[in-house]
Amino acid sequence: MKKRKRSLKQLAALCLTGTVMLTLASCVPKAEADKNLLSTQESDIRTVNLFGPMEKSKPDAENTARTAFDLTIAMAEEQLGVKVDYRTYTAENFQEKTYDDVTLDRVRNHMDDLYLLNPDTIQILGSEGSLMDLSSLESAQNLREIVKTANFVDGKLVAIPQEIVAHGLFVNQDLFDQYGLELPETPEDFLECCRVFQENGIQTPVGANRWWLENFVFAQAYADLYNGGNTQAEIAALNSGERKYSDYMRPGFEFLQELIDRGYIDAQKAYVSEAIEAEGPDFLAQKTPFFMAYWGAANTDTAYGNPDFKLQVIGFPSSRGQMPVVSMTGYGVGAGSEHAEDAMRTLDVILSDEALQVYSERNKVISPSKNVEVDCIPALQPLNDKIKENIYVLGSNAGMKIEQWGNTCLIVRELLNGASVDACMEAFDKLQEESLR
Amino acid sequence: MKMKSTGRNRGFPLLLSIVLVFCILGMIVFSVSRKISQEMSESAIQNLNDSLDLIQYAIETILNKETEFQLLIAQEIAAAEDPIAYIRSREKNNTMVKISLILTGETEGISNTGEQFSEAGLDFSMERRINGLPVSQSYLNYMGTWAYCIKCPVEREGQEIASLYIEYVYDTLDKLLPDGFYNGKAILYVMDPESERFVLKPKGRGLRDAGHLNLEDFYRANSIEDPTLKRDVAECLKNGINIMFYHDIRSVNALIYMWPVNDGSLYLVGYVPIEAIQQEGRTVNQNILIVVLVMLIAFFLCCLLYYLNQRQQNKLRKEREIEREIHNRQLAQALQAAQIASNSKTTFLSNMSHDIRTPMNAVLGFTTLLAMEADNPVKVREYTKKITASGQHLLSLINDILDVSKIESGKVVLNFEPFSLNDLVSSVDAIIQPMAKGKHQNFHVEVSGIKHEYFIGDETRVNQILINLLSNAVKYTQEYGNIWFRIVGLKQRSAQYDHIRIEVEDDGYGMTQEYLKTIFDAFTRAENSTTNKVQGTGLGMAITKSIVELMGGTIEVFSEIDKGSLFRVELEFRIPEDQVDQQFWDNSGINQMLVANGAPETCRDIVLLMKNVGVQVDTVSSVEEALELIQKDSEYHVLLLDWELPDLEGTQTVQKLRVYLPDTVPILFLAAFDTVGIDGVLELAHTGLLTKPFFVSALKEKILELRGAAWEKDQAGGAKENSLAGLHFLAAEDNEINAEILEEILKMEGANCEIVENGQLAVERFACAAKGEFDAILMDVQMPVMNGYDATRVIRALKRADAGEIPIIAMTANAFAEDEKAALDAGMNAHVAKPIDVALLKKVIERYVKRKE
Repeated sequence: MKKRKRSLKQLAALCLTGTVMLTLASCVPKAEADKNLLSTQESDIRTVNLFGPMEKSKPDAENTARTAFDLTIAMAEEQLGVKVDYRTYTAENFQEKTYDDVTLDRVRNHMDDLYLLNPDTIQILGSEGSLMDLSSLESAQNLREIVKTANFVDGKLVAIPQEIVAHGLFVNQDLFDQYGLELPETPEDFLECCRVFQENGIQTPVGANRWWLENFVFAQAYADLYNGGNTQAEIAALNSGERKYSDYMRPGFEFLQELIDRGYIDAQKAYVSEAIEAEGPDFLAQKTPFFMAYWGAANTDTAYGNPDFKLQVIGFPSSRGQMPVVSMTGYGVGAGSEHAEDAMRTLDVILSDEALQVYSERNKVISPSKNVEVDCIPALQPLNDKIKENIYVLGSNAGMKIEQWGNTCLIVRELLNGASVDACMEAFDKLQEESLR
Repeated sequence: MKMKSTGRNRGFPLLLSIVLVFCILGMIVFSVSRKISQEMSESAIQNLNDSLDLIQYAIETILNKETEFQLLIAQEIAAAEDPIAYIRSREKNNTMVKISLILTGETEGISNTGEQFSEAGLDFSMERRINGLPVSQSYLNYMGTWAYCIKCPVEREGQEIASLYIEYVYDTLDKLLPDGFYNGKAILYVMDPESERFVLKPKGRGLRDAGHLNLEDFYRANSIEDPTLKRDVAECLKNGINIMFYHDIRSVNALIYMWPVNDGSLYLVGYVPIEAIQQEGRTVNQNILIVVLVMLIAFFLCCLLYYLNQRQQNKLRKEREIEREIHNRQLAQALQAAQIASNSKTTFLSNMSHDIRTPMNAVLGFTTLLAMEADNPVKVREYTKKITASGQHLLSLINDILDVSKIESGKVVLNFEPFSLNDLVSSVDAIIQPMAKGKHQNFHVEVSGIKHEYFIGDETRVNQILINLLSNAVKYTQEYGNIWFRIVGLKQRSAQYDHIRIEVEDDGYGMTQEYLKTIFDAFTRAENSTTNKVQGTGLGMAITKSIVELMGGTIEVFSEIDKGSLFRVELEFRIPEDQVDQQFWDNSGINQMLVANGAPETCRDIVLLMKNVGVQVDTVSSVEEALELIQKDSEYHVLLLDWELPDLEGTQTVQKLRVYLPDTVPILFLAAFDTVGIDGVLELAHTGLLTKPFFVSALKEKILELRGAAWEKDQAGGAKENSLAGLHFLAAEDNEINAEILEEILKMEGANCEIVENGQLAVERFACAAKGEFDAILMDVQMPVMNGYDATRVIRALKRADAGEIPIIAMTANAFAEDEKAALDAGMNAHVAKPIDVALLKKVIERYVKRKE
């Protein structure tokens, strides 16, 4: 009797195992004969081509700004059912076409739909009519006034940024403390600091590239224009030729010349250096106490976030003290782009308050939307305080007939290449004359 | 221990075998899996090669088509009258974004876009050719995208008249590339090998990180730093051959490939993560793993089931073993007990043999002597007395044996009836006192804390307990020893039951601790009776304990050798609802009583007992105090004096008391049974002795006695001496000897009887007898033809007026209570056990037989 019971149990166990095996075996679907195995459903995903710069720095580092941007793109893809293809370019060296050059070509030849544009290209392409008017976008209604001012060309809102890019002077506070120096307020203070650093063995105190030295010029040139209470009248005087850009620009150029002359800037190196590439490692290695960069660089691992020293980001020296230079990159839609409508809708999503909240929180930047406020990291607090007090100069202003950001950059590059300050001023005069024609 | 080690020895090889089987299975699965992986990997690499070949051929086909088309255009230009106008008329398209023409001999030409064109900026130096036509190095064109230019001669009539330059953009190749190469996990670039610039890049979110610029950037981004590898790659690029190698890209093992197109004028560069290549192989392996896991789980389930089953079996087996062990132990114990019992019974039989033979020997011996000395009345009386004693002893032995037998078979039934503690103590005292006296022992009876005197219980059995304990105490106490018999009232546990403790203590021989353990077992005696002068069946204590337990009580024993023993029995007796005799005290007008006693406990007990019958008791501790109290209040109806009061002076004290007390008030002395010197006092009128301990019923009896009622009763009793004289009995007795004895006894008592041999004859005889012929029927029970019970029933059923009235007295050797009950149930009036106790028989007959006037 007991034996029979045991046999029954064993049989039950075997049956259980067999059942499990059969169940598993039955999970494999049987191929149906005489049936088309290929899916004939066509993909209805629409494509939006985005043109933007390519990253050249650390490959393994997480680029917070890019990640934040990608998050907003993902929102758009999800909401709109579109696929955003990234097309990228970056110059291999200084001899190659710049990103801006390529951007101009691509916009003019309708190569893409959506473009990440630098201030100079915004002004150029906007005035050419190559960019679509974005003022009808729902997200455009939330923009801060400063954003609208900087991106309006001929009555059209041609670009909208995801962040207000404020350029500042990145300072190694530890080195200042080491040599008992105060952070510079004026050009004179800055020169004095450089002198002390140089005397203490830091031969080239200012790290520079071929792009961002112009911030020194803007700070000194437009400190009074944007903070003197007579901004519109002065811009009008410049646009009418009543006043000369060169008059504004000269002090800054002379200041740069002095920095070059005293060896505080390595002009030759700067002339061939891409942004961050050359001066970044020296700054991080605490070989240079200064260099200039944009707000987001302080946030990201790819640039200068998390250094081994106390980092402070302050405004550029000017007669009115430390002066942030606000220069907004922005997204524009090519006027002749193949997928303009989808590009506009994509832009509307990535510039919505919801997307900008994600972007700003992730990237710790000043949002272009007046509805989005986030805290910044401590290193950026001095710069943030100034901007909150409305103390800044614009590096680009679409309201000025001469494009500022690109032209000034090119002329500064000439200075680096050995041109005299007078020659540089002549270049400005020439530009002004052309604009007046 | 041996079994355990055997089990372990058996389990280890089994475990080893299982492990070995699993190892072999694992190795097989691993090798199969590995083989599959390898084959799938090779297949996947082959697939990658095929894919890259396909892409390569597709691009080469495009390039060839472009050149073929360009040659056609060149022919058209050659055929055109105005080649420049032809060029201007051509519109750019997605493939040919710029068409330019430089006439032979000129350095500048014209483009279809309208501007001047020169070869400056175009680099044909690396002599790359497609379909025989030179191809320029890649460059960023006016559209901001990577382009290449194919130069083609325009020949007319065998003479080159111009060069046709057509600019193509790499973007057109984009459509040829697979969308989502290896599910988007693979990366594919098109590289210009000369500049090592990536001219066509993958698109998609996130693909603008480092690594897309050129080969150097690719190396840097993907951490390809091995100079040898780089050199090998450079060599391959130079020679236009393909290369493929494994490398970790951001911690993911990948296969990097560089695939030449058009003899190396372009290169397909990229990588595929191994996991993407081996996706199918991995899936197969995963499935194998799942199957193996499922099989393992199934196997372990089976093992678990088997284990559980085994455990259950083991548990059952162990339980059975335990059961068997218990059973064996019980059997062993039973066997031991049986052996002990057998031994005990053997010993018992031996003892009995001795004990029975001894008195039997005496009986037979003295009978012989009696026959010889029949003429000597003195000798006859002496011998008959000894025969009687031996017979009595023999009877007690038989009674004990029968008791044990009954108790052991659970047939003992308690007979609950009201009884008086006084009677109990008196009867016990009457039996034990002479025994103690015989051994010059002091027998002390103490009663204390008793609240009730009447109880409901089996008096006979209680009596049996007390007699057993006390007779043992007498037996096992040396001469001049002391025996204490105490009855103590304990705190009641319920209102309906009184809690009594009975103590029997002696300062006798005592018992060993070993013996105490078996004292209550049957057939045990403190010492072998054959060597001990103390005789007994060895059943007394077993009977006692059984009876105590039957009554719901407890019995304890404490003893020490040569110091004595103490038996303590606790019993609970039901209290009757009406304590009898309360009415007597009311009717007698006795409601106040004075007690003079030196012992406060005794005074308290008396007060308590008398309170129950409504008599108020005043107590004093001396005669003097009693006198003082009587002087003040002479309303006492009874005076009770302790004979041991120090100031008691016998007759003089009575006389002093009588000065104040009326002559009718009884003066009683509370004294011990054997008090000497009291006789003189008792001669005084209304003065009497009350034997200790004090009981209300004894007091009542004494008062009645003093008042004369008792005397009258005694007188009446006296008159009825020889009460059997003149009576005529019908006796049913089948045993001739017994019949003869009965006949002789009755004859000696002045009565006569007619003997019949069975019940049937008795019935018949009675049926035909005249009314009043017989005064009673003495009926044996076990008889042939018709037994006593049936005969009684038949007689009672006879249609005679006296059939229901004539006393029928059972005279039987069936001596138990249930026999008595059966007799009464059959209709008999009384039951007298054999052997016949003449006094008892007389008493019973007196009770039931109505004397004829």
